[in-house]
Amino acid sequence: MIIDRSHRSWAVASAAILIVALAAYVPYAVGSPRVGGGTTLGLAYGIVGFGFMAFVTLLSLRKKFPIWRIGRTQTWMRGHLWLGALSLPLILLHAGFLFGHGLASVLMWLFAVVYASGICGAWLQHTMPRRILRDVPMETIYEQIGHVRAQLVDEADRLVADASGRLEVAVPPAASGATVLATVMRVDADVTAPLREFYVHEMRPFVQAPSRSHPLANETSAAGRFEKLRPLLPVSLHAAVADLESICEEERQLMRQARMHGVLHAWLLVHVPLSFALMALAIAHIIGALRY
Amino acid sequence: MSDQITLTIDGRDVTVPRGTTIFDAARMNGIAIPTLCHQQNQTPVGVCRVCVVDVGARVYAAACIRECDPGMKVKTGTEPVVRARNTLVELLMADHPSPCARQQASGDCELEAMAKASGVSEARYARRLSPRGRDDSSLSIAVDHEACILCDRCIRGCDEVKKNHVIGRSGRGYSAHIGFDLDLPMGSSTCVSCGECMVSCPTGALTNKRVIDAQLPGETLDPEWILQLPVFKGVSGTFLELNKSSLVKRRIAAGEVICREGEFGSTAFYILEGSVDVFIGTPIAHVKQEDASAGWLSRIRSRLADRQEHTRTEESGRRFIPIDAPVDLPYDKPLAELGAGELFGEMTCMSFHPRSATVRAKTEVVVLEMLRNVLDILQKNKTFRAELDRKYRQRALETHLRSVPVFSSMPADFVDYLRDRVELSRYSPGEVIVRQGEAADAFYLVRLGFVKVSERHPGGEVVLTYLGRGSYFGEMGLLGGGVRTATCTALDHVDVVKIAGEDFQLMVSRFPDIRAGLEKVARERAEQNRQRLASTEHVPIDAFLNQGLMEAQSLLLLDLEKCTRCDQCVRACADAHDGVTRLVREGLRFDKYLVASIRRRNSMEIIIEDWCIGCGLCVRNCPYGNLNLHPFEIKVPDPEKPNRMIATTRKKATGCDLCMEHAEPSCVYACPHDAAHRVEPLAFFGTMSAVKDGKRTGSTEATSK
Repeated sequence: MIIDRSHRSWAVASAAILIVALAAYVPYAVGSPRVGGGTTLGLAYGIVGFGFMAFVTLLSLRKKFPIWRIGRTQTWMRGHLWLGALSLPLILLHAGFLFGHGLASVLMWLFAVVYASGICGAWLQHTMPRRILRDVPMETIYEQIGHVRAQLVDEADRLVADASGRLEVAVPPAASGATVLATVMRVDADVTAPLREFYVHEMRPFVQAPSRSHPLANETSAAGRFEKLRPLLPVSLHAAVADLESICEEERQLMRQARMHGVLHAWLLVHVPLSFALMALAIAHIIGALRY
Repeated sequence: MSDQITLTIDGRDVTVPRGTTIFDAARMNGIAIPTLCHQQNQTPVGVCRVCVVDVGARVYAAACIRECDPGMKVKTGTEPVVRARNTLVELLMADHPSPCARQQASGDCELEAMAKASGVSEARYARRLSPRGRDDSSLSIAVDHEACILCDRCIRGCDEVKKNHVIGRSGRGYSAHIGFDLDLPMGSSTCVSCGECMVSCPTGALTNKRVIDAQLPGETLDPEWILQLPVFKGVSGTFLELNKSSLVKRRIAAGEVICREGEFGSTAFYILEGSVDVFIGTPIAHVKQEDASAGWLSRIRSRLADRQEHTRTEESGRRFIPIDAPVDLPYDKPLAELGAGELFGEMTCMSFHPRSATVRAKTEVVVLEMLRNVLDILQKNKTFRAELDRKYRQRALETHLRSVPVFSSMPADFVDYLRDRVELSRYSPGEVIVRQGEAADAFYLVRLGFVKVSERHPGGEVVLTYLGRGSYFGEMGLLGGGVRTATCTALDHVDVVKIAGEDFQLMVSRFPDIRAGLEKVARERAEQNRQRLASTEHVPIDAFLNQGLMEAQSLLLLDLEKCTRCDQCVRACADAHDGVTRLVREGLRFDKYLVASIRRRNSMEIIIEDWCIGCGLCVRNCPYGNLNLHPFEIKVPDPEKPNRMIATTRKKATGCDLCMEHAEPSCVYACPHDAAHRVEPLAFFGTMSAVKDGKRTGSTEATSK
């Protein structure tokens, strides 16, 4: 979610809550002989902080039931961002800015990791969609990348076969069933050898199983390869070479999309499980604190 | 003066009747003179000059047109004559795509055979620079202008042998070529596909379009037998011989299914004997959305509902279901009977639409099953068209008129009056039926196929609506200022019933209720068009037109700068519709927005009618990925055990319903990133465009609005 002007009310409310919390804390910290979760104010900070944490965690459950009419999911998301941001200062106020020992210490470190991953995620969600939009104009549905890749291989195979294949072929028009005779480029087979050589040994392995270390994975080096190939071929094949070059470009974009998609979503693998672990430990901490 | 003359050909004295050409005199005496442009059954024209001979004159003469003179000494095979002939062949070969289609198919291209015999292997002359192209518009004959040597044999075959007068010469010099009618594509011309031109052509310029691997099940017929049938009167026997595998006779036992609804086929059927039942087996119902439970947990459930139980506001009051046959099926009881002399499956055959109904033999039936090349010839055959039209006027015109709500009250006597006065016309894909700005002289009812209605504007063409069978057009021009307000173009093979302007005026003057109904529809259409166009004033119309967004009334836009591709919207849509999503996160792009779904209304509404057979064609062809198939379990009679029902799955098409049961569509409601928006496109993009313009000009006025 992009954090923009539409978040103003949430930002103002969060800032107000933080200011009130800090305003209450200063005389308390100065005047009280003991600060921490055991005091009344400390307990209050803890309760509010935990409440925020609980609400923030519920976003995952909210997403599991998208059609429940319990508030728009984007409202939950805004709450997740701002109340989540507030929860750490409140918990720090609750703990008197001490990480403590044992379970409390684990909790604090875990909270720090979850918080950091959350900030990282918010930043990624703020910036990465724009980068995908800019850098991957041929973006497809992520789950369809494998399918699109297979189509690109087919298309490239066909292009090379057409450019260096038979002279005249019967082409059935799409779905008509009636035959039409189409004349394909007349090119001597040996003239097309450099094209086939390049395709079979360099391009096809890249399109089939792309790797970042492949020379065609780099835009500049790929352009160089195609520039070297062109003079070896008759002008009539240059259009086919241009098509192959654009297939390579699309393949690079698919690689880029897969990488960016991974980055955009990988942080959740840290953030979500640790959040649930944090909640579990926090509940254990509450039970322990209430009991002892 | 004697009627016989004597001359010498290659040293032999020959006597022939006066007026005989050198070519004929030589042929009668067993001396072969090669030729390309001349055939015995055609008037000689001497355009190819390959038959040149030495008659002792200053220049060589074309044997096919030069008449014999008494005492003439003709030399047909001297070295200079052969050299001149070979030069001509070499010149013709220079422009000839060797091997041409005919040479590839049967190895009997006359030019290439002649070149081979003359030892002309490779032409020394340069090819023409400007290509003459191909014409594949005819379903039965392929035209390759590149292979044409302008011998005019096809022209004489069409004019002199068949008297059709369709082919002629067009262009001059290098651009000279054969043309059909006023240089139209062959498929759009008045060509009746008799095949005479193809038979006459010496090269691969006019070749038969054979259907690849077509082996229809049934009895292959002898062309002689086929020609005995009245409906095949006038069809070329050679053509039937060449397309033997495209036409078969089938005998079908009573009760056997001939074709099933939803199936894809490529054939049409003509009933020779017996009768068939035409019906729709899929439940006549549509997908209805309703709340499964109330409150904040509410979920939409889909179920099938028929019209009696649930009427949608946007649907028409149609009482008949249009199908691919000369009859419409009554909505309440979708069953009809066809008999001998009737044709069904035309749209499937010509436009590859799925079968729109199931056809079952009622009695033992004999049918001719044919592929589109044969059907095309039949449809162009005057005898067959006249017979079909007669049957249509007798049987289907009244049903057709009554199926249109505004004409449902037309008295029988006026239907009888119209029966022989209406004109039944056919249009090929892309052909303009009426053009904006022309004088309005007729009213049209769509009988078969689809028509696009569009308006011309400075930004481009705006599509106003698409009309299918049972729809009509032309009333606005006739009721208004007498000028066509829009252009109507055939999208596929379209048949229309054309009612002349004076008959239309008589009808509206005699029946005020029909006039009122037509005027109401005309007013509504005009208002819709006006609103649509008025709201485009501040919108980048070209971009809209390019993406086809003009027709949308509600778009689901994904702001790709905010969207994290989490697919929460897709999941929500699936959850809201029994696990079947109606939203695919891919589609057209407009600026930073992805158009993920479209909802149309009014004239552009996509209504899934109750008689949807779940063929899936709309789903596959929807450019917005906006239509889906929804599976349902239904009970059908068990074919093995009578009186028992078994469960089976049938599908019905569904489109985005905006989650009408809720205040906000589920996809928008579930988006956590504020990226999904439902917008009214013209207002939204209009504002966006105005904002951009404001920024560009430094004005703040637009942004503050």
